[in-house]
Formats: sequence, structure tokens, C-alpha cells
Amino acid sequence: MAAREAAVVGIGRTAFSKSSGRTPLAMAAEAARAALEDAGLRPADVDGIIDFNTNDSASGPDVARAIGAVDLGLAMDLQGGGNLAVTVVGQAFAAVQAGTCDVVVVFRSLNGRSGNRYGRGDRPALAMRGDMQFAALNGYVIPPMWIAMFAQRHKHVYGTTDEDFGQIAITMRNHAAANPHAMQRQPIDMDDYMSARWICEPFRLYDCCLETDGAVALVVTTLDRARDLRHVPVRMAGFGEGHTSGGSWTNFPDLSDMYSAYAAKRLWASTGLRPADIDVACMYDCFTGTVMATFEDFGFCPKGQTGAFFAEGRATYGGDVVVNPHGGLLSEGYLHGLNHHFEAVRQLRGHAGDRQVPGARHALVTAGAGPAGGALVYETDL
Amino acid sequence: MSEERLVSVGGAATSGRPVPPPAPLIDADSTGFWEATREGRIALCRCTGCGAWLARPLERCNRCAAPTSFDPVAGTGTVYSYIVVHHPAVPAFAHLVPYVIALVEFDEGPRLPGILLGERGPGVAIGQRVRAELTAFPGADERAVTFRRDTSGG
Repeated sequence: MAAREAAVVGIGRTAFSKSSGRTPLAMAAEAARAALEDAGLRPADVDGIIDFNTNDSASGPDVARAIGAVDLGLAMDLQGGGNLAVTVVGQAFAAVQAGTCDVVVVFRSLNGRSGNRYGRGDRPALAMRGDMQFAALNGYVIPPMWIAMFAQRHKHVYGTTDEDFGQIAITMRNHAAANPHAMQRQPIDMDDYMSARWICEPFRLYDCCLETDGAVALVVTTLDRARDLRHVPVRMAGFGEGHTSGGSWTNFPDLSDMYSAYAAKRLWASTGLRPADIDVACMYDCFTGTVMATFEDFGFCPKGQTGAFFAEGRATYGGDVVVNPHGGLLSEGYLHGLNHHFEAVRQLRGHAGDRQVPGARHALVTAGAGPAGGALVYETDL
Repeated sequence: MSEERLVSVGGAATSGRPVPPPAPLIDADSTGFWEATREGRIALCRCTGCGAWLARPLERCNRCAAPTSFDPVAGTGTVYSYIVVHHPAVPAFAHLVPYVIALVEFDEGPRLPGILLGERGPGVAIGQRVRAELTAFPGADERAVTFRRDTSGG
């Protein structure tokens, strides 16, 4: 069968909160229904479902049944973190292109604040296997520690300053001010950033994202079908991933880089684009340090220059590229990166309201930190 | 501070018993490492064929597929990177904040993370020489590899 073209045709989400009082199943079902409604499709049209989780969510088939889709040709529950937030969409496109499915729902649902918190070092789900078993007894077990370790190395190698990290946090918060869905919208300045308490040096409070309860879903179908649906189809120009070093947080070769040093070549070869073509960059920002390393690795600026790039206004409206117009995980909320896709699609449809990036045609979404992750570029013909 | 981020205050023990640190998930590939620590030694996985040191214990070498063993290391290394933990997210160490976790590159090559005992942040730097030791943290079933700065000038 000749490969078909595919597109994102629907986006949906729940409210974001600190305490949903709901199950991940209920939230995923709401987000999936909303995404199908947005597309103009019915639950009965769904024949594929893909999600990722860390044993903190509902299974794909369970969510599909919850909306009335009980006969699926594809169901993929991927175990893992934000590094999979591009993988799930890439595989949805692949399934539709290959003819495996016609309508695929992609979702992430979690009670990231009221339930299983990634920032806790005593949660039962901690699995200290592989070379992380040597980290367990020292309590080196949570993401703020691992990514701060990367950031410290970046400081050492490139002379990065605390203010450089602060520029990223400030920019995200300023963007979130125009986003009614964001968890935190109060702008901050450098004094606020520098005077906030330390979490895990070199990270202060505003370097860390917002644990959040909620769900986000996308719908992918064929481009042919997309042309008859409600919104302009959002196609994918290509994607590239980097799953390196066996996923090791400690023995990744160079902690001043991240997975993106490996994924970049695949991303740009796959898309035929370059950083200057990107209008909106939804950079995975579990921490400011993640934005810094990956932004550089993907080629937006030389290593060590991210702070200056942000300080000069090149990462916001009127600059080179608008980074996280929704405020990102740092200010909109930690929906594990799937909210970046929601924002990218909105921007390319021209539906982003007060925070619309004028003339946006190419939107980058990155996913993951440290040794593993990926990125894709969405595009439209608007 | 009203904002809740990707950090949280750990639940302190109320029973008076120490809260143990997270436990390692030991498997057949890594048993040799833990057997050594129980005997007071630090031994890392090494290929019996090509001699490569493996950070992640494996039954067979990932370069030449020869069998592996656990060989003693000198116990000396260099701070590759470090963090200063201020927020007490890990209950076992909440009483220590601020404390330093160093990612140490052993002279043999593999890196291991561990608390840099006796340090609170100031004076710690990448590139410093450290010496590994084994520490039994309260409540833990196994001894942890920890570090101290090597001030012998070596």
C-alpha cells in the first residue's frame, strides 16, 4: 500500500489544576472526546490509541472503551517519561501513513500534583534498576537532581550564569501571562528569579516546572479525510529522536549536551528544514536547563549562548523564534509535554488569540531531557 | 511560597525510626557489585576479554561480548559535576540539607553519583579529586558508595 499522508485534526484537554479529584481515566476520556469534537469526528471513528505513562495513568484501551471505541486496530501504551511525548505522535502518524489505522487518539493523562509526583523522592513507583541502582542509596532519584547535574556541567564548560537560566524562566512566565489556561500567569523579573529559594543548585524555584493534574489529547487521521474536517490540517514535516547511552542519566557522554545532540541531525534531515525556518518552538522545559541544552543542540544558537539569545528578545515576539508562547511546562503546566503539541497546533491554525505568533507556519515540538528524547516539526499551508 | 513545583517536601518519619533511602533493584547482572560492598570493597563490572570497565553491569561485554566480572577499583576519582540539594525531597536525607551530591568519574572510567560527605556547597568544584567510601545510611539494607574530598594533594 502506498504511504498515505496524515495530519493532526483535533486537539482536546481538561482543566489544569493542582487537585483534579478525578481519575486519569476520566480526564483522558474528556480530553479525547474534546479532541474528536474539535475535529468533527465521532468516538466510533477511533481505531487506534497511543499513550505514554509511568504507571500513573489509564491504559489506552481502557480510555478508548470509556469513550465508546471498543474495536481498535492499534493500541500502544508506552512506558516512559517526557522523552516519549514526540514518539507517541510520530507513531500515530506512522500508523496512519502505513494504513494500520484511520483515526488515532494520542493522549497523556496524569494527576501529576495530587497523585504521583515526580518531584518526590519517596514515591513507591521509583524503580532503581540498571545503573540507577547505584544512585538509589544516595537518594539521587528525582528529575530536579538529574537535570541540575547536567546544568552544572553546562555552567562549567560554557561559563553559563545563573542569570542565563533566569532569562528562560522569565520569558516563559511572560508568555503565560497571555494564556488563560496557564497555572501561573504572574510575570516575574530577574530580582524575583534570583531571590527565589534554591531547590537544587544550580536550580532555584523558577527553574522547575509546575506539577499539574490534567489530560491532553490529539487526533491524527489521513490528510484526505482531514480536508473535510473542521480545521486546517496540521501536517508533520518530519521528526527525529535520540535514545542514547541506554537511557543513563549518569554515564551519558557529555552532560553539557542532551539527547538533542544526537536527535538534531535526524530532525533536520527528516524535515529538510533548519532552525531559521521555525516560527514557534515548543521546547520541552521540565527545567530551564533542559531548554538551554536542547535549544543549543538543535542549532538555534551556539553552545553557551542561550542566555544572551533570550536576554536580547530573540526568543519572544518580534525575535527570531517564539519559544513556548503558552508558557511551557514552567508556567502553563506539566502535562508531560503533550500540551506543547496542543499549543503548536493552535498556533499553526491561527487560533492562539492574544498570544498568536503572526504568520506561524512551522512549529517545533521537542520532548525529553537528558539521554533520551525527540522532536518534530508541524507545518500548515495557511 | 504558594507555588508547587516539581519538588516537594518529603513526609518526615513520625515513628521515630529513620526513613531509609530508596533501595537498589539488584539483579543477577549486578549481584557482584553488592557482594563486594557487603565485604567492604568497591568493585565495578569489567570485561574479562577486552578489559573495558562497564558503568552498567552486564552479563557480557557490550563491546566484545566476552564474560564479565567485578574487579576492585582504586576508589579515587574526579568530580565530573555536582549539585547542592536544598529542598528536602528525599526524606532519608531531609535532615542533611543543604548537602552535595557529586557525579564522580572513577579513575577507571565509569561514573557513580554519591553524597560528598561533609560538604554543604561552598568550596566544591568540578575537577576536584575525591575518594570513595562505603556508608551505611540508617535503615538501608545495603551500603552506599559515598565520597569525600581528597585533600591529600594527590
